[in-house]
Amino acid sequence: MPSSPILFFLLFLCFFCTQLSCTKTEVQALLAWRSSLKDPGRLTQMWTSNNISTDPCQWDGIKCNEAGSIISLSISGCQIDGTLDKFNFSSFPNLTELWMDHNENLHGGIPKEIGTLHNLQYLHLSSNNLVGEIPVTISNLSNLEDLDLSFNQLTGAIPSAILNMSSLHYLYLGNNNLTGQIPKTIGNLINLEELHLSANYIKGAIPREIEHLTNLTLLSLYENELSGQIPLEIGNMTELRIADLRYNKLQGNIPATIAQLPNLSFLYLGNNQLNGTVTPYLGNNSYLEGIDLSNNNFVGTLPPLLCRRGELQYLQAANNSFILLPITLKNCSSLTELDLHENNIRADVSQTLGEHPNLSLIDLSKNRFYGRLPSNLGGNILSLSLEGNEISGDIPKELANSTSLAILNLSNNNFSSLPLIQAPALESLHASNNKFTGEFPLLQQNWTNLVTLDIGKNNFYGKIPSWIGSSFPVLKILRLGSNQFEGYIPPQLSMLNNLRLLDFSNNNLKGPIPHVLSHMHSMVIKTMTNESYITYFVSNTNEEESIDFMWKGVEATYQETIALLTGIDFSCNALSGEIPEDLMKLQGLISLNLSRNQLSGMIPNNIGNLTSLEVLDLSMNILSGTIPPSISHLTSLDTLSLSHNKLTGQIPSGPQLQTFNMSDFSDNVGLCGFPLPNNCLTHNNSIVPLVENEAGYKKIEVIWIICSVILGYVIGFWVYFGALYWKISLRFAIFQFTDKMQDKMMKWCGRYFH
Amino acid sequence: MASSSLLISLASCLLFLAVSPALASNSEGEALCAFKSRLSDPNNVLQSWDQSLVNPCTWFHITCDSQNRVIRLDLGNSNITGTLGPELGRLQHLQYLELYRNSFMGKIPEELGNLKNLVSMDLYENQLEGEIPKSLSKLKSLRFMRLNNNKLTGSIPRELVTLSNLKVLDFSNNDLCGTIPVDGPFSTFPPESFENNKRLNGPELLGLASYDFGC
Repeated sequence: MPSSPILFFLLFLCFFCTQLSCTKTEVQALLAWRSSLKDPGRLTQMWTSNNISTDPCQWDGIKCNEAGSIISLSISGCQIDGTLDKFNFSSFPNLTELWMDHNENLHGGIPKEIGTLHNLQYLHLSSNNLVGEIPVTISNLSNLEDLDLSFNQLTGAIPSAILNMSSLHYLYLGNNNLTGQIPKTIGNLINLEELHLSANYIKGAIPREIEHLTNLTLLSLYENELSGQIPLEIGNMTELRIADLRYNKLQGNIPATIAQLPNLSFLYLGNNQLNGTVTPYLGNNSYLEGIDLSNNNFVGTLPPLLCRRGELQYLQAANNSFILLPITLKNCSSLTELDLHENNIRADVSQTLGEHPNLSLIDLSKNRFYGRLPSNLGGNILSLSLEGNEISGDIPKELANSTSLAILNLSNNNFSSLPLIQAPALESLHASNNKFTGEFPLLQQNWTNLVTLDIGKNNFYGKIPSWIGSSFPVLKILRLGSNQFEGYIPPQLSMLNNLRLLDFSNNNLKGPIPHVLSHMHSMVIKTMTNESYITYFVSNTNEEESIDFMWKGVEATYQETIALLTGIDFSCNALSGEIPEDLMKLQGLISLNLSRNQLSGMIPNNIGNLTSLEVLDLSMNILSGTIPPSISHLTSLDTLSLSHNKLTGQIPSGPQLQTFNMSDFSDNVGLCGFPLPNNCLTHNNSIVPLVENEAGYKKIEVIWIICSVILGYVIGFWVYFGALYWKISLRFAIFQFTDKMQDKMMKWCGRYFH
Repeated sequence: MASSSLLISLASCLLFLAVSPALASNSEGEALCAFKSRLSDPNNVLQSWDQSLVNPCTWFHITCDSQNRVIRLDLGNSNITGTLGPELGRLQHLQYLELYRNSFMGKIPEELGNLKNLVSMDLYENQLEGEIPKSLSKLKSLRFMRLNNNKLTGSIPRELVTLSNLKVLDFSNNDLCGTIPVDGPFSTFPPESFENNKRLNGPELLGLASYDFGC
């Protein structure tokens, strides 16, 4: 009994000493690890002291408790290069927080010794370059609340012991290379609030045990290989606010129980293999803000209660087989984005788009909408796509004059009247294949943002205005084809320095091809662009431009490679004059179609300059002369048509030229040589075609002979009888002569026969 | 019972056939991407080759027919280096294979013999080596075969005399050996088609046991 206070004192001293030596070993461990790194980065200046004693508690990123032992280590974004192999985890018994994220050169594996940090509550190792499997020993960390290993290269399956840690509140394992299945032990994570397993390669079904996750607000499983059905137990996750299951292989129906969740705000199920109808009660119980059902096989009607609580902003249901819309959609004034493209929806568009003052992105394309556009389409509209429906009537003035409108796609409908458009923010205007009529539809102004203008396949008439050159500084695509435009091609077109695709085909244009078109800067240079697509940054979505284009005999939609297309199509007009030699400066051209015009003269000698050319169509003109030999330099040419012209001489030989057929040169009377069957004949140093049908050649001779003989007869006849007729004395002399001869003959005959 | 199972198998076969053109187009795109992966393309001529597209018919230097099957591949004079892989043999409707004037190396894949619709094979002016595959004798539609100016070795396969449609052949400027066939279309080819093959011994002698010495 008298020894107990001494013992107590000794114990206390010992404890105090171990605390001190704890601090000492902590410093040693930190410095030992730092010296093991290939590059300590910012740690060199963070972990330094001014005074002699190395007290780590003064260092940057380090917090200590009252006893001077390290409780928090922050090594975020320190540009270190090395591994965790020499990190002595067991030297830090009091550590509660370890932040070692955003070091892109922190590689190697997570050592299993990490499981010795018994007091650890927050472990953040995200955004590094860590590999290997998640060590099972992490499950020993019985106080761990936050575990963030996302954005690394971790592999293997998630250990089921880890998904058994009931202490966890936040579990982030997303953006790794994890495989295997989600363990059933997940049901034990009763305190879990957020679960991120997205962007991995996790397979199998979502376990039904998730029903026990009654504190979970965020379930993020997108971009994995999850299959099977969404368990109906999901309806028991009463705190669930965000469910993101996009980009998996989930099948079957959406369980009806999902409609009972009282806190569900965001339901993202896009890009799966889900089918069936969507429960009509969805939205009844909670304040839905965002729905994504896109790219599945849903059928039937869009659920009517989605907007019941007036909070729905984002409705994405594209690429399904929905056929009907609920009437309630018209009154959903909270909507900002509505995307229903590529369904089978049959509805009156004026009943769909109603009071939507905040609606900025609308895509109803490729459905069966009909009727007329309402005039109150909202003043905040950024992007409106109605392509491929049966909508008719006018374009409301409010839309045509909208100051926010950037993307307008009305193609493939039955619209009939387009007012003069004056929407200054317009970047893309597609109005092709409608019944529009009238003159060129845009007002002259500075269209600083317009990149695409496609009004082809309508009934527009009148002249192409000359101000077109100076009003579209960034225009890349100009398509006026298949209309009734007339007059001349304005030479001011040459000022369009960004123009890549120019289509005036199938109109009534006349006159020459302006030679100044050779100044179109964007067609002069060969395509050297990093991005092969054209994007418009509208709201937060990157909308990509696309056009339908007929090329090499095949009609296709170009989107991903649209920025690489460089071509001119003036075919099917009444253009005359020669093909300007200057046009051959457009070395970026991939496609040149001048067919079906009345172009005359020779094909320019320097056609070989167009080295990028893949398609050349000059057929059905009245081009004459020989085919320039430089055409053999076009080694990318795979489609050539020179037929139906008046070309002569030998077809040049060349590596691509020898891959073409007779039909590409047919109906040119004077043309000869491969691939035509007739050979050329050298005649007095000039090559003259020897027609295989030699009778034809002789035919000409025969005709001449006959003509001269007949002429001879006629002249002879008229000289003789004409002379007799006009000269009496001559007539008399000849008749007398004939009489005398006759007498002589009679006397001679009489002597002989008597 | 038996008839219903027969019906089911027939239906699934038909379904597969219906789907297979789509699959075929996709597999042609895959074949072309595999082809591209073996190449170095400093002029970026293959920039438009995007495998995420449903078929390769919108790619530059590719021509398709009306059913979206590749009929022409035109990459002549494109500054490409690399080897030719067996996947080229999957382009079943290919008519024109134009790979001339590049730096293709390695062997001519025997799978090129599967291109039963091929009309023109232009591999000239490259650095191809190895032998001319016997399988090229299966190219019954072939009219133009130009393999000149490479480093091809071995003998000219006798089997090529069965290519009755062959109009133009050029094997000059290689390292071929043995004798030149004289049958079939080979009787029409001028001697220039075979010149500059130092070890080529001239036309084969008919009636004698044919042997290729030093080959």
